[in-house]
Amino acid sequence: MTWLFFQAVVSGLLLGGVYGLVASGLSLIFGVLRIINFAHGAVMMLGMYTTYWLFVLLGVDPYLSILITGPLFFGIGVLIQRIVIEPNRAAAEHNQLLLTLGLALFFENLALVLWQGDFRTVRVSYSGASFMVSDVLVEVPRLIAAGGAVLIALALWAFLRMTDAGKAIRALSEEAEGAMLVGIDVARIRGVAFGIGSACVAVAGALVTPFFYVAPDVGESFNIMAFVVVVLGGMGNFLGALLGGFIVGLAESLGAAFLPGSLKQLVVFGLFVIVLLLRPEGLFGARRGR
Amino acid sequence: MSDHTTTRFGRRRFLTTLGAAGAATLAAPAFLRAQSREVKVGYILPVTGPLAFEAQLALNGLQQAVDEINGAGGIKSLGGAHITLLPGDTQNKVELGNSEAARLIDQGVTAIIGPFSSLVAFSVRQVTEKNKTPFLLLATVADNVLEGGLRYTFRMQPNGRAMATLTVGNMLEMAKAAGTPIKRVAMMHEDGNFGTTMGNHVEAFAGKMGYELVQRVPYNLRSPDFTAELSKVKATRPDLLVISGYYGDSKIIAETAAKLRIGVHALVGLANAAYSNPRFITENRELTDHLLDGNYWHNPQSPRARAVFEAYQKRFNSVMSNHGVQGYQVMFVLKDALERAGSTDREKVRDAISKTNLTDHILTQDAIRFDDAGENVNASPALLQVQGGKPVVVGPARFVEAKPVFPVPKWKG
Repeated sequence: MTWLFFQAVVSGLLLGGVYGLVASGLSLIFGVLRIINFAHGAVMMLGMYTTYWLFVLLGVDPYLSILITGPLFFGIGVLIQRIVIEPNRAAAEHNQLLLTLGLALFFENLALVLWQGDFRTVRVSYSGASFMVSDVLVEVPRLIAAGGAVLIALALWAFLRMTDAGKAIRALSEEAEGAMLVGIDVARIRGVAFGIGSACVAVAGALVTPFFYVAPDVGESFNIMAFVVVVLGGMGNFLGALLGGFIVGLAESLGAAFLPGSLKQLVVFGLFVIVLLLRPEGLFGARRGR
Repeated sequence: MSDHTTTRFGRRRFLTTLGAAGAATLAAPAFLRAQSREVKVGYILPVTGPLAFEAQLALNGLQQAVDEINGAGGIKSLGGAHITLLPGDTQNKVELGNSEAARLIDQGVTAIIGPFSSLVAFSVRQVTEKNKTPFLLLATVADNVLEGGLRYTFRMQPNGRAMATLTVGNMLEMAKAAGTPIKRVAMMHEDGNFGTTMGNHVEAFAGKMGYELVQRVPYNLRSPDFTAELSKVKATRPDLLVISGYYGDSKIIAETAAKLRIGVHALVGLANAAYSNPRFITENRELTDHLLDGNYWHNPQSPRARAVFEAYQKRFNSVMSNHGVQGYQVMFVLKDALERAGSTDREKVRDAISKTNLTDHILTQDAIRFDDAGENVNASPALLQVQGGKPVVVGPARFVEAKPVFPVPKWKG
């Protein structure tokens, strides 16, 4: 059974990296805007369709397409924030919550109208590539996705710590009023944060496309996992989200290998409830990424 | 410009003359239809929404049957009445199923065909029963849809129980004939109503049918990774892996199983949405080679079924898959009943359907007959295997069109 254990650990870690990147975006948006973005999974879905169409129509490799999807969805994120979210900042919190839920439904139904419910797949030469480490299967596209996700998340973390814009984002997430007083253009920074969050999740979508399928409701499963991860890592905690991603990936995979039935979902959501009850600030201490 | 218009007008007139001469229904169909009586038949299908692709396949089958019936002179006992299809879209939603069914009944349909989802069927049957309207189920597998003493609801295709037990039975028989009997069976199924029903049957019949269910893994169909589940299956060393799932999950499972070198004699789908789906096969040629699936299919031994299959291929430029076969055949069940009823009265048509004994059909089964509950007593799936990029029938023995490849070399460890 040791073979089964190591296989589950490897699969869990590979999936966890992607969860981590999706959750990092969600966490960043929450940290700065203080809204729970239900449209996050839908943005991922749009990123996946963009990757799919770039590949089908122009022959752009899914990994290369990140150079397009990243900036494109940064722009889309900034626009969504400016047009839809910013005007409602004064509204009650539950209204903002419903607003992002509405956005998610809008995007999903838009995709349904534009591209129907068909499952689409991107078949690239390396889609089926895999190798064995002793008895453990490692799929190359999943390895690239996890590695890419971690690299991008770390790059963003560095950006938040080292650049002026990054510092402004952190300042805003820690103390909105203070940030305003020292002359930070808070409305603009909120837009930038939403843009980065959207770019993160769209890029995560591009990374999973070579081994996954694309459909209008494909973002939902990642969306729910991202919420669990964010709660685990601490709302607004960027590195916590990345670590949380690995924990959820591992819990899911080990649960699938060693528990009967569909209990793996129960493990993940059980973890979610327990953390909320006992450690609402998340497993990794402080509320904000310091 | 004006020249062009004159030419077109002239050609049209010419065609109308031809039509009047009785040479072509094509030329003036509206005119001809207005002359004779019509039979309105409503369908409720998820033609938009997540099941749009599958619903279109069923609709193709319905349309092909209607055109064939009308082209051959309509319903003879009704003075050559033509069948008119009235559309209803459920979007796979319960509330829309009800309102569309009510609307169609209001428009005077003689019968309703649909609706795919068992959940929608549960709800629509109340509307059709209350309005005493024959309801012919299409692609609805849940066993209990016909429970509760229904009078107007009929199901031509196998229910979940028939689907599961007959498919596994076909598989065991085929394996035995090939000299590699199956003893250890593992099952993976999505954990919704459809997959769980299938899983329960495969588990319940293990002892009776002489195999051991060594592993049963329900899974969430949206899960992005099945490596751990399949590793668990591999560890129990099964001879056969049975999979009941939808499109995306079934694809990832087959891919991962191949990479893991899962080591079974075969992978067989059970009413699987992907493994005999022509689009899935075209998109995944290498992966799908020698995959098996238990599903509805046309009978390759019947000349009529082959002709229908080829006509479909020509018209819609795709393989006539399970839903197309059902759509086509269910319309002919209704046609047969209308001929015998000699009336569009819903009660008389209902009685005629209940007395159906149809041997001239395109399915892999004996005569289509309904029991008191409304189930087709002889309903039976075919066992299919993808060979050379096409699903071919490899079981039951009397319908076989090609020799099965079994054990399948590529799934061996």
